[in-house]
Amino acid sequence: MARGSAARTSTQQTTGTSVLGKGARVRGRVQGSGDLRVEGQIEGDVTVTGDLAIEDGGAVKGDIDAASVVIGGALTGDVAARGPVSIRATAQVSGNMGGAEVSLEEGAVFSGRIEAEFELPAELTTRHKGR
Amino acid sequence: MANVSTIGRGTVVRGSVRGDGDLDIQGRVEGSVVVEGELTIGESALIKSDVSARRVVVRGAVAGNVSADESVVLESGARVVGDLGAPQIGIRPGALLRGNVSTQVGGQGAGARPRAAAATARAARPKPVERPVAAAPKPAAKTDGLAAKTANGPRVEGNARKPPPPVVPSLKRGAKGALKRKGAR
Amino acid sequence: MAATVIGHGITIEGEVTSDEEVLVAGTVRGKLNVDGPVTIEAGAVVEADVGATSLSVGGTVTGNVNASDRVDLLAGGRLIGDVKAARLTIADGASFKGNVDMDV
Repeated sequence: MARGSAARTSTQQTTGTSVLGKGARVRGRVQGSGDLRVEGQIEGDVTVTGDLAIEDGGAVKGDIDAASVVIGGALTGDVAARGPVSIRATAQVSGNMGGAEVSLEEGAVFSGRIEAEFELPAELTTRHKGR
Repeated sequence: MANVSTIGRGTVVRGSVRGDGDLDIQGRVEGSVVVEGELTIGESALIKSDVSARRVVVRGAVAGNVSADESVVLESGARVVGDLGAPQIGIRPGALLRGNVSTQVGGQGAGARPRAAAATARAARPKPVERPVAAAPKPAAKTDGLAAKTANGPRVEGNARKPPPPVVPSLKRGAKGALKRKGAR
Repeated sequence: MAATVIGHGITIEGEVTSDEEVLVAGTVRGKLNVDGPVTIEAGAVVEADVGATSLSVGGTVTGNVNASDRVDLLAGGRLIGDVKAARLTIADGASFKGNVDMDV
């Protein structure tokens, strides 16, 4: 049983996908290795070493820390991902997104901040260099 | 012939650009851009300005807020530091953004077009219902300006937008994402 | 087609600089400086000093014009301002008011 190490491990090599079914409801922090698919409701922070998916109909109220995140349901909270964050058209998100790459599908309801690390071309930067 | 204007790659505009029709920017603009049609910011474009149009497609670099009446789409290659505001917002993989994003009408952050913003803000704010004032015909009374106006029934914004979609409860001050990143712009 | 086309419905207030061909069918107020040919179409309004290699005026230009090569004021065109160009044509039906300096 490989404990997910802190390093970025391949998402294939997971300790399994956990599913929080539609009728399920969790109040409190969720932590784990492997992937997590949320079809139900979580009220609390979620930290997984693998990929997190909030399905259409699922909801998370809390901050998320995962390798990658796909949001098709509702999220109120911030996201910190080491990899991509994908927000689907069915999503309703309120929070700040930080990830290697954040994509948003038209139709999604979104309110919050997206922070990607990059530099604008020199001609457009003013005083601060956008660090 | 389609009413498309182009600011070519070798062109720099320092000032305001506004008007109807579509606009395709491949060059540089510093100032403001407000057009009624579709605005395309090409790959080679460098925009230091808020921009606003009915629809906006971004493939280049923008330092400024991007807002639209219909949709804002950041295609792969887009680099934007600024807020996005439109009912429909798309950010394709490969597009880079640093800023607030709001799909809500009259939402936070985006420097929305003055006219559109005013209209939508007014529609969004809960408005006292127009009471059908008994049209007491008091011609030429002194205090009449008001009576006359209400008698005629002030018109709600002809094209008042639909009320905004139900809002997911307010931002959580988690800031976990922010802490992980090396501080905002 | 010119690389930069300022269409009929567009108004630019400020400074426009370019190193490629510019066609103005809308309105420009401020400055227009192009290292290339400039065409001001009928209906266009330019309230600016204009610099170009060559300038063709079918619309209205109010401002001084400086062309390294030529200025052509077409029938229906209006130019109010001084012109400095190596060559100049003013068509029958054009309006012009200003000084001309062809000693480039």
